[in-house]
Amino acid sequence: MAEQLWRAVAAYRVLTLGYAAFLVATNLGHYRRPELAVALLAAMAAWTAITIACTVQVPAGRTSGPLLVGDVAIAVGLVLATLAVEPAGRISAGAPTLPAAWAASAVLAAAVAGGPVAGAGAGIAVAAADVGERGTLSQHTFNGIVLLLLAGLVGGYVVRLGQRAEAAIAAAARRDAARAERERLARDIHDSVLQVLALVSRRGAALGGEAAELAALAAEQEANLRTLVASPAPAVDAAGELDLRALVEPFASATVTVACPADAVPLPEPAARDLAAAVGEALANVARHAGPSARAWVLVEDEADAVTVSVRDDGVGTTPDRLAEAGRSGRLGVAQSILGRVQQLGGDVTVTTAPGHGTEVELRVPRR
Amino acid sequence: MCPGADRPRPGASQPAGDTSTPGDEQALKVLVVDDHPIWRDGVARDLEAAGFVVCGTAGDGAQAIRLAPATRPDVVLLDLQLPDMTGVEVARRLATLDPPPRVLVLSASGERQDVLDAMTAGATGYLLKSARMEELVEAVRRVAVGDAVFTAGLAGLVLGEYRRLATAPDDDTPRLTDRETEVLRLVAKGLTYPQIAERLVLSVRTVQNHVQNTLTKLQLHNKAQLVRYALERGLDNE
Repeated sequence: MAEQLWRAVAAYRVLTLGYAAFLVATNLGHYRRPELAVALLAAMAAWTAITIACTVQVPAGRTSGPLLVGDVAIAVGLVLATLAVEPAGRISAGAPTLPAAWAASAVLAAAVAGGPVAGAGAGIAVAAADVGERGTLSQHTFNGIVLLLLAGLVGGYVVRLGQRAEAAIAAAARRDAARAERERLARDIHDSVLQVLALVSRRGAALGGEAAELAALAAEQEANLRTLVASPAPAVDAAGELDLRALVEPFASATVTVACPADAVPLPEPAARDLAAAVGEALANVARHAGPSARAWVLVEDEADAVTVSVRDDGVGTTPDRLAEAGRSGRLGVAQSILGRVQQLGGDVTVTTAPGHGTEVELRVPRR
Repeated sequence: MCPGADRPRPGASQPAGDTSTPGDEQALKVLVVDDHPIWRDGVARDLEAAGFVVCGTAGDGAQAIRLAPATRPDVVLLDLQLPDMTGVEVARRLATLDPPPRVLVLSASGERQDVLDAMTAGATGYLLKSARMEELVEAVRRVAVGDAVFTAGLAGLVLGEYRRLATAPDDDTPRLTDRETEVLRLVAKGLTYPQIAERLVLSVRTVQNHVQNTLTKLQLHNKAQLVRYALERGLDNE
């Protein structure tokens, strides 16, 4: 990107150098000091060559500050040098400055290298030189100044914009590469590790004893790994929505089963994260209160106007009375925060429980 | 016990009718399709130990489609990830055989859309590969007699599919009855059929029938879609 811009600036320098040379050649007869005009034209040509060499050849167009300051200084100097070349009568009659449009190349260079502020600064410097050279602010000069400032500001802005777009593209490319790598890993893991773990857990369980313990370990790791490779990475789409499944599926384990639709369940990102956090808290509650051998099932349902997530366990359960009493005495701190999170999203929570029949928490969040 | 359990030679069909040992002609014949030798042979051994006849094993889809008509298995145990074609395609082709074998999908990871597609293409059972041995044996038995075998995860997928279809309904769109939705949600929440039967005051058989219906309707819809698609293509080609 920077490279193309520097090439454009270089092209502008060369073209405007040609125009300045044409002006010098046609006006040579009118100059007070024609030899000085030719010498200054040669200096312009030399500086053009130097700046092009320093900006276009340098990798990625890394330009030094002194070069750019010197660029602006030389443009200003050449504009002012017009006073020594042209007779006063021709200047007041509106004759072009010696470098003419070439002076704007320093403004463009500053804009490319330093953005809108540097571009505008350089524009002001060159414009000031223009005014100083004329001695007055004619309509013609004023137009020129406006154009210089615009070139500096707009040029700088476009450059910034371009740089940002470029950075965004690069980031997207990195994300793509990361996703491709993730998918490759998922395939590999699926093809090897998962198969072996599944087999170990199955056969070990049949053997019993110590083998069964190893089998349980293998089953747990298999479940973790399966979730890891099967879950899409949580990614926020252009509408600011997140697939709830990507946040809930990682809860799956040897004791937690997660059931989801095959299609994405999009929710605005904050709502998705809050709902997933509430599910996490409900599962933490299961681990704390439902008993050591309790299993849990999470069901995600997308009902167009609402999203429902149920968390059911087959643990010890409790009576609705004791549940209400625990709520009053503040012992269900976690349950309170589940309720708080979901109510904040405009949703509601239903808890169903009975001794010996586990507990079911249903979280329902409307789509707005 | 069963020569058919050996990995088939490429191109060789393995007649299965004469491979069962005398006296257990009742034994169910199973074809194991999986591209992982360790897994395939392990499962074949387990199934034989449980009294099934493994009438063949296949490492890819083409081999499975070649072996199925020759060995006439009662149940095909099908992995969804195969090297040459998807398990969904294999399920589709197996459904065109006469008689079609029952297909029990076994997958290692939750390839949700693939699982759903394989089921609507005609498979009637689904299990995760991490299922315990007893679960697998039980699932093969139930699939063989025509029962649908659901996991909680599959129930979630089927519920989601009906909801997806309902977003753009037409005259042919299959719908769940309230009772079917209720049953399917309970399956998705991990309740067993007896638990569901108790909760809804139904017989276990009725619960099984409701679950079965949810799948059958999807499969019929899928078949109708395919026929319509084929007709449209056929008319276009004329």
